Amino acid sequence: MNVDIQSLGTFNRLAHEGAEQATAAMCQMTGLDAVVDVTKISLVDRADVGEQLAGGEYVGVRFDFAGELAGETVLVFDREGSETIASALVPGGAVDEAMARSGVEEVGNIMMSGFIDGWADFLEATIDHSPPQYVEGTGTEILPVAPSGGSATVDSPDGFEGQDSPVDGSLDQVFVFQSEIEWVGESVSFYIYMLPEYGPLADVMSRHADAEDDAIPVDKLGVFNEMTYDGTQRAAANVEMMTGIETEAEVTQLSFAPIEDVPKQVGTDTYVGTVVEFTGVPSGYLVVLFDEASAVHIAEAMMPIELDSDELTDQHRQAIEELGNIMTSGFVDGWANVLQTSVDHTPPRLVHDMGRSIVDPLAAQVGQHQEHAFLIDSEMRTDDIAFGAEIHVLPNERELRQALDELLVERADQTEADVEQIFE
Amino acid sequence: MPDVLIADDSEFMRNLLREILEEDHNIIGEVENGVEAVETYKERDPDLVMMDIVMPIRDGIEATDEIKTENPGANVIMCTSVGQEEKMKEAVKAGADGYITKPFQKPSVMEAIDDVVPS
Repeated sequence: MNVDIQSLGTFNRLAHEGAEQATAAMCQMTGLDAVVDVTKISLVDRADVGEQLAGGEYVGVRFDFAGELAGETVLVFDREGSETIASALVPGGAVDEAMARSGVEEVGNIMMSGFIDGWADFLEATIDHSPPQYVEGTGTEILPVAPSGGSATVDSPDGFEGQDSPVDGSLDQVFVFQSEIEWVGESVSFYIYMLPEYGPLADVMSRHADAEDDAIPVDKLGVFNEMTYDGTQRAAANVEMMTGIETEAEVTQLSFAPIEDVPKQVGTDTYVGTVVEFTGVPSGYLVVLFDEASAVHIAEAMMPIELDSDELTDQHRQAIEELGNIMTSGFVDGWANVLQTSVDHTPPRLVHDMGRSIVDPLAAQVGQHQEHAFLIDSEMRTDDIAFGAEIHVLPNERELRQALDELLVERADQTEADVEQIFE
Repeated sequence: MPDVLIADDSEFMRNLLREILEEDHNIIGEVENGVEAVETYKERDPDLVMMDIVMPIRDGIEATDEIKTENPGANVIMCTSVGQEEKMKEAVKAGADGYITKPFQKPSVMEAIDDVVPS
């Protein structure tokens, strides 16, 4: 199956417009004000779908849909948001639990009908959906299990062809359409997740794929995502070796979003980290980010002496700069080795700013040549101390396409170079 | 004790290498880029250069090539975070005698040095 950039852009716009329509319906019914913040299409490990919801308490409205596209979609509110909606629907009145639940269900029904209708109209086909099902849960419990029916995997040396469950540690990847909607003036958000079955989605994508040279075989996207996961594991291993802190690769996803939405993926928290520009095929930018507390912890773990400081000193910054450098190499070396090319990168530049402010100028650079961007996101965590790190990669879209075109799937596991053999 | 020149743009990494090496080696200089590495090599003629690859102004592979052109008998170990096969081949072509990937620990550094400059 091939998918071309134009189709991905179209699908992304459809999901975004659907989310806008759904949001407008909600605003009309409740008098509340909300805007669609970001919409993206992600290729993600089935187990990691909805990772951003981890830890929160949510209510939602879930639907099955079938027809030209099939799968499940769910509208997710945090509990506070659902109470706001219920109160807005019955202004001034006491809202009992049953009424609140019914109100959220009906709002969800109307919102999601609009969302799905947009897809049906575009596809000039019928998409039926089930009655709304009210759901409650913690974290990803609120989401349906990502549907099976094949996944974006290929016949690789690991043998993970079309599996519905991971084999030999390989990823079991699914496409997810995800919109994040913000209440205006509030710090709460709600989300729309659409989890289509792979088979019907593949058919639709194939039909809309351009025969021209911007088509990408989706199986190669899956392999690339797998390579990215390997890179994250190597970066995590490097962190562990330098700090002694046990670190695990967590989420890896390949997303596709309009260039103007790229900075929004990183959020408004303050981060410390490094930025490098890499050249080769593909070229682009790679950002390693630590939240401020993690940056202090991790830097101190790298140093032989205890600084005992809650603030970032020059020594902390030097340590972070070097760690960013080593994590960057750990991340991109695998691509270079599989693609049998070299990927050069600049020395790391230390950054300390709001996430969006760090990524904004990079997106602007990449956006000079493209309207949409692939964004590669990885996270790593540890249970030992409060520590989190994120890696975001923003490759040149045309060059990534070229790299995928040249990617030999049978080399997908050749991520490590043999130093001893080369220096024999 | 062998004279060693450390070329790395990261102060953190220069400190780390110095701590690993100073007990058994004479650190004759620490530089931050490939241009300074070549200049200091020519001035001080050390027994060994520990050379990073990704450095500003001139990278470590270009600097190695220049040092080896100047003195084919020079000993240069690439000491880098880059683990790419093509880069390693470039390093071999430039004349590098050894290659250590970061992050490293003392035994692997000492082993690589021993291979190139036997004690």
